[in-house]
Amino acid sequence: MKQKKDVMQGTLALMILKTLDVLGPLHGYGIARRIEQISRDLLAVNQGTLYPVLLKLEQEGAIASEWGASDNNRKARFYRLTKDGRKLLHAETRNWEQTAAIIGRFFEVKAGDLP
Amino acid sequence: MSSWKRFLARLANFLAPPQKDERLNEEIDQHIALQTAEFLRAGIPPAEARRQALLKFGAVEAIKEDYRAERGLLSLDTLLQDLRFALRMLRKSPGFTAVVILTLALAIGANSAIFSFVYGVLLAPLPYRNASRLVVLNETTPRVGLVSVSYPNFLDWRAQSRSFSQMAYVEQMSFNLAGPGVSRPENIQGDSVSPDFLSLIGVRPFLGRDFQPSEAQPGAPRVLLLSHRLWESHFAADPNVVGRSITLDGNVFVIVGVLPPDYRSLDKMDVMLPIGVWATNNPNAASRSDRGDSTVVGLLAPGCSFAQARAEMQGIAARLAKEYPAANDQFGVRLRPIRGAFVGNLQTEILVLFAAVLFVLLIASANVANLFLVRGAARGKEIALRIAVGASRSRIVRQLLTESFVLAFLGGALGLAFALGGIRLITRLMPHDVLAGATIALNGAVLLFTAGVVLLAALVFGIVPALHSAKWDVQAELKEGGRTVGAGASQNRLRAILAVAEISLALVLLAGAGLMLRSLYRLINVDPGFQPHRVLTMEMYLSSERYSRDPAVLSFWSQVLDGVRALPGVESAALGTNLPLTESHGRTDITIEGMALPKPGSFPHPDVHTITPGYVRTLGMVLQRGRAFTEDDNASAPLVALVNEKLARQYWPSQDPIGKRFMWGRFDPSSPNPPKWVTVVGVVDDTKMYGLANPSRLEVYDPLSQDVNRDMDLVVKSRLDSSSLTAEIRGVVASVDKDEPIFAIATMNEILSDDVASPRLTLLLLGLFSALALILAALGIYGVISYSVAQRTHEIGVRLTLGAQPVDVLRMVLSQGGKIALAGIVVGIVAAFVLTRLMSSLLFSVSAGDPATFAAVAALLALVAVFACYLPARRAMRVDPMVALRYE
Repeated sequence: MKQKKDVMQGTLALMILKTLDVLGPLHGYGIARRIEQISRDLLAVNQGTLYPVLLKLEQEGAIASEWGASDNNRKARFYRLTKDGRKLLHAETRNWEQTAAIIGRFFEVKAGDLP
Repeated sequence: MSSWKRFLARLANFLAPPQKDERLNEEIDQHIALQTAEFLRAGIPPAEARRQALLKFGAVEAIKEDYRAERGLLSLDTLLQDLRFALRMLRKSPGFTAVVILTLALAIGANSAIFSFVYGVLLAPLPYRNASRLVVLNETTPRVGLVSVSYPNFLDWRAQSRSFSQMAYVEQMSFNLAGPGVSRPENIQGDSVSPDFLSLIGVRPFLGRDFQPSEAQPGAPRVLLLSHRLWESHFAADPNVVGRSITLDGNVFVIVGVLPPDYRSLDKMDVMLPIGVWATNNPNAASRSDRGDSTVVGLLAPGCSFAQARAEMQGIAARLAKEYPAANDQFGVRLRPIRGAFVGNLQTEILVLFAAVLFVLLIASANVANLFLVRGAARGKEIALRIAVGASRSRIVRQLLTESFVLAFLGGALGLAFALGGIRLITRLMPHDVLAGATIALNGAVLLFTAGVVLLAALVFGIVPALHSAKWDVQAELKEGGRTVGAGASQNRLRAILAVAEISLALVLLAGAGLMLRSLYRLINVDPGFQPHRVLTMEMYLSSERYSRDPAVLSFWSQVLDGVRALPGVESAALGTNLPLTESHGRTDITIEGMALPKPGSFPHPDVHTITPGYVRTLGMVLQRGRAFTEDDNASAPLVALVNEKLARQYWPSQDPIGKRFMWGRFDPSSPNPPKWVTVVGVVDDTKMYGLANPSRLEVYDPLSQDVNRDMDLVVKSRLDSSSLTAEIRGVVASVDKDEPIFAIATMNEILSDDVASPRLTLLLLGLFSALALILAALGIYGVISYSVAQRTHEIGVRLTLGAQPVDVLRMVLSQGGKIALAGIVVGIVAAFVLTRLMSSLLFSVSAGDPATFAAVAALLALVAVFACYLPARRAMRVDPMVALRYE
């Protein structure tokens, strides 16, 4: 149960970093919308779970935040990627690709393929 | 790296003043507003748009919880929150809180108090650097048991043993402290020791010097070390005391040092002197068969075990017995680790009491767990609601555990106050000297133990209900009119098991207390062989040069006796030695006229009392045959003696012992001197010399005028109260010799009562603890039954409507309680049967499995349990069917 949540959080963190990398500074709602668009239903009922992850990334120094004005001219907190965050994103991306590749190969292997 | 940064950020947030959730709140507001706007654009009506947005955002409280956890240091932050909440909950139900805290405080207080004795007596390090390698050695003989060691035997032990790197002799002496500067003469205790004794045990003088090797030889100069206590009381803690002098028995001793304040000795000790002083002009020091009042302490050689040392010493003792049969026939050696010598018989009593208080703690915890389960049922709705709004189950468990810990902590704090009072009470009730200098206090070790007990209790009574509560079925709980029936079955089973456990533990305690009660009852009904009422005793010891000749001694004694007998209110007065039930004793071999001469170690070896006329009457002993001593039995008259019944029966069975003769010591056919026969003129009852629980020994009484003694006990029967009589007697003695102290002042009733003080105290405490256990167990079963009745009100109403009679309801409820009680009693009896064996050494003429005691405590417990069930059962009988049914 706990592990599943950790995996989810890790995935979410990577998505946030990638979103900020592609789109530049965004507020929480913007990030949520973007993730929703791409992942379809990952955040369909639980957009709020984004915020603890944002705070974690900020406390780790991967992202920074400051108040700014949103589209409707209300105060909003904008998040942007830091230098450390960019490094983290690259490292995590490589990691992810490796993991995905390995897992993928495992799924392709059939019993008959083994020597 | 980043996790380190994260930790720093969290730490900073945690240390910063408490943050409100402002930032998150603003972000959430903004988020919802943006999402609502989006839905509005999509054409959804405003109210619905906001509702959808909120739904999409998810459980706000749960997210806030995660956010806070991420922001600060989760554990401490939520702990404070939990703590505040727990205190609020406990304030809301003061009755529950008070009952729980009081229950725990009693149990924890009892544990801390008893543990302070466990620590002080059994665990606290002895104040000797070499404590773990110190062994106390004594001689043993089958006729007596443990006895002192003769000095020549000690010298041989030391010379021949390889398992001990050092061995020292310790001889107990007593001195009269009088002379210039002493306002009232007194008697003090001294240890004469081998000069290397202190270095052997690993103690250095607090002031001054240790003894020197030359001070082992007879003729050594009179020097001594003061105990720290005597230094403070008699020398005002003078830092320049070294070189000053003190007068003991009329001899001047030079003070060469002071012992450290934490020095502990097996018996009371005021001064320590080198063995050479004791050996000077002392024939005992050269006699192999004279075993004064001594022990030997050895330091195990490196790499040598206790068992090796024992084996070697037994070999040496066997050789010495063969080599010197006259002195050593049938004498062996016994070794004890020094801790064992200090603890003595106390160990079993303390451990039994410790087990008892642990049981009380378990019962109290089970009881509190039961209370928690009841309350948990009542709080089911609240908890279900909190789970529904997003509290995780682990969060609920933590919250409930926090409440348990707060309660346990408060109980522990109050318990320490109880413990403080308990320790004072117990030490006051303890027979003096039994602690041998052990310090009993609420020290660090006891506080640490208490903390452990608090944690243990909180876990025991907290975890079960907490896990149970967190398993709540939210759906069932929140349903309209949801009753707690769903959770009921497994809950009730758990609570019944707890009640069974409480009853069985209580039964074990009651069985222990019952056995002690029977044992003590038998003990105090033992005939001590004398009448203790209105008899005052005190000791005098004519140790100075002035009394080196017999006529001076006899003149002193007769002047004192005449003076005391002349006091108004005195009915009779006499002198004697080795009073019953005191520590003092004097034994010697005798030879019965005409007996077949046994081996040296098997001669009759009676206790000897030297007495004056009037002793038998003053102590109220029964003269079975013949006559008591008169003033005519003097030095020029034929030698006479009284013997006790046991001796008469053993050596003159079915004969008249009056007129029979014996001689002191062993008859030696080769001796040119004719034996000096002593004629038996009377037979008296056996008296208890070595404790009421121990069998009587052989006893012989001889007249003081035929066997002059300088150390005598005065016994006085009077109508006066003991303190004013003591003052009068002090005046009489001072008028004869102002330098002679009177000491060891006690009434015979006090001596008798001291003898049973230890079992009496054990019984008192065990009784107290088992009463507590009984009350708690009764409350436990009462709680289970009364809760179950409350739950089943509806069902009972239905039954009554359908024609059940109230008496059927009563039977139903009582049988439910009866099953619990029966199970508890059966389990308890089995457990008690196993456990009471461990206390069999504390019991006197009662077996550890005494069926009468077991039956009585089982019946008592059953009665209490039935009564505890009867109250709720009566309530069940009076259920009004209409009311019960309308409720639903």
